[in-house]
Amino acid sequence: MNVIEINQLTKYYGKHRGIENVSFSVEEGEIFGFIGPNGAGKSTTIRALLSLIHPTSGSATIFGKDCIKYGSEIRRDIGYLPSEVFYYEHMKVKEVLNYSASFYDNVDTSRIASLAEVMNLDLNKRIDDLSYGNKKKVGIIQGLLHEPRLIILDEPTGGLDPLMQQTFFELIRAENKKGATVLFSSHILSEVQKLCGRVAIIKDGTIVRVENIRDMQKHNYKKFTLDYKGVMDVQHFNLEGVTNLTVNENSLHFLFKGDINRMVERLQGQYLLNLLVEEPSLEEIFMHYYQKEEKEAQP
Amino acid sequence: MNVFKKEMKANIKSLIIWCCAQVFIIFAGMMKYQGFADSQVDVNALFAAFPEEIMVVFGIGSVDITKVAGFYSVFFLYFMLLAAVHAVMFGAVAVSKEERDHCADFVYTKPVRRFQVIWPKLLAGLINILIFNIVTFCASVFFIAQHNDGNGLIDKVSLTMLALFILQLFFLALGSMFGAVLKNTKRATAAASGLVMGFFILSVAVDLYDKLDFLAIFTPFKYFEGATLMINDQLSFNSAAILLVVSLVFFVLTFVAFNRRDLST
Repeated sequence: MNVIEINQLTKYYGKHRGIENVSFSVEEGEIFGFIGPNGAGKSTTIRALLSLIHPTSGSATIFGKDCIKYGSEIRRDIGYLPSEVFYYEHMKVKEVLNYSASFYDNVDTSRIASLAEVMNLDLNKRIDDLSYGNKKKVGIIQGLLHEPRLIILDEPTGGLDPLMQQTFFELIRAENKKGATVLFSSHILSEVQKLCGRVAIIKDGTIVRVENIRDMQKHNYKKFTLDYKGVMDVQHFNLEGVTNLTVNENSLHFLFKGDINRMVERLQGQYLLNLLVEEPSLEEIFMHYYQKEEKEAQP
Repeated sequence: MNVFKKEMKANIKSLIIWCCAQVFIIFAGMMKYQGFADSQVDVNALFAAFPEEIMVVFGIGSVDITKVAGFYSVFFLYFMLLAAVHAVMFGAVAVSKEERDHCADFVYTKPVRRFQVIWPKLLAGLINILIFNIVTFCASVFFIAQHNDGNGLIDKVSLTMLALFILQLFFLALGSMFGAVLKNTKRATAAASGLVMGFFILSVAVDLYDKLDFLAIFTPFKYFEGATLMINDQLSFNSAAILLVVSLVFFVLTFVAFNRRDLST
């Protein structure tokens, strides 16, 4: 069964494009990634699902029900973490969470304390005294408090330190094991790869494709930066799978896709000042993978 | 119920301040009356020497302000202004503040319809203006009694407060409509306070120039007159009916517009 079904969803803000003909569906029980650069339309899609905004055309259903018409009913079973978390500044964390709980029937409020302990959050602090990361934790707890069947996370990890991100991922996985479906939006590929089974990729307001994370990992690009002294034979690194090779003063940049051991072999015997192997940004992946593919598809 | 409680709590401080200001105005005003009454000067003759324009702006028309009822009736203009600003701001802010505070994503993703959030807020507004009204009533009766041998003119003041409450309701509705229709709180409060100012200026203009009498219908400040209420014990039924109907229309528009709104983050 599909928990979310989006059909040709379009939103224009006046003449300004929000999203155009977005369609994809999320199956029950999966952790579905929704990935795209900033401003691609992730939040717009999510906000339309939650009927915070009204789509210009197209439709979306959640649990098989139209999400504008039955919005309030559907939202009983949705937990949502907005990308920008702001809560009533003068309230205490505890008050905000109790206020949040008061909107649902039969909430187990003991979960406030247990979730706060897992997330290491002080319930007695005032919201305006919290750091951004701690506000995010408040958001996470209010999203999970009522044990929703569908969890919608919009850029959830911003502001969380790596350790807390780990804890958060474990929390999400645990909720998922209990049966919750998760829609996870992000602009960071690696975190989506860690958590999700399938992903929809959105760019400039349209869905580029929906694919399995395994297929995506075949296109696992790494970004290399080599700092060296003196002269280096650039051609030495120009092996299969290397793209975008550029030399910039005493450093060499390239993207590499393929067996990492082959690259390690090439690096042996080189005198380097520094070596950086990074996850390329989504934009870079789009540039070197999706756009290229589009060109190949239409010669 | 939760939204209502929260809204009441959020506004309690400002309500107390508004009420204190109101009590002080009545207190200070009635002190001045004592001053007039004590001095042997013929105050009516003194004021007759003032240019009419000044008297109109201060709301002192043709009433006999040496009598306590006449003097108090002059207050009505200030009550209207203060109550209008209070009510219009409450409405405009209550409806739009979630978006201003970036909390819209919090409340409106809860399992509630939008009107279920808006109406408790408006109910809180209603209670707030009612409290403001009652405080005004109590302070008025108390201070009038002090300068009128213990007679607080309860009947006359009650009628005046009824008129005031109808105006408060009108301005609450007007403010909430601005909150629902306009882009953000800033624009809503700016438009609302601008309009209150405009209404006031128009009411002064109508008082000054007889030729402009036909414009009186466009300013709620001309729907009730302090003197008519306090001296003739009359509350215009037509005025009350028009204001109530228009208020209802504004409230309906608030709900319709807010329901259609694309909420901003």
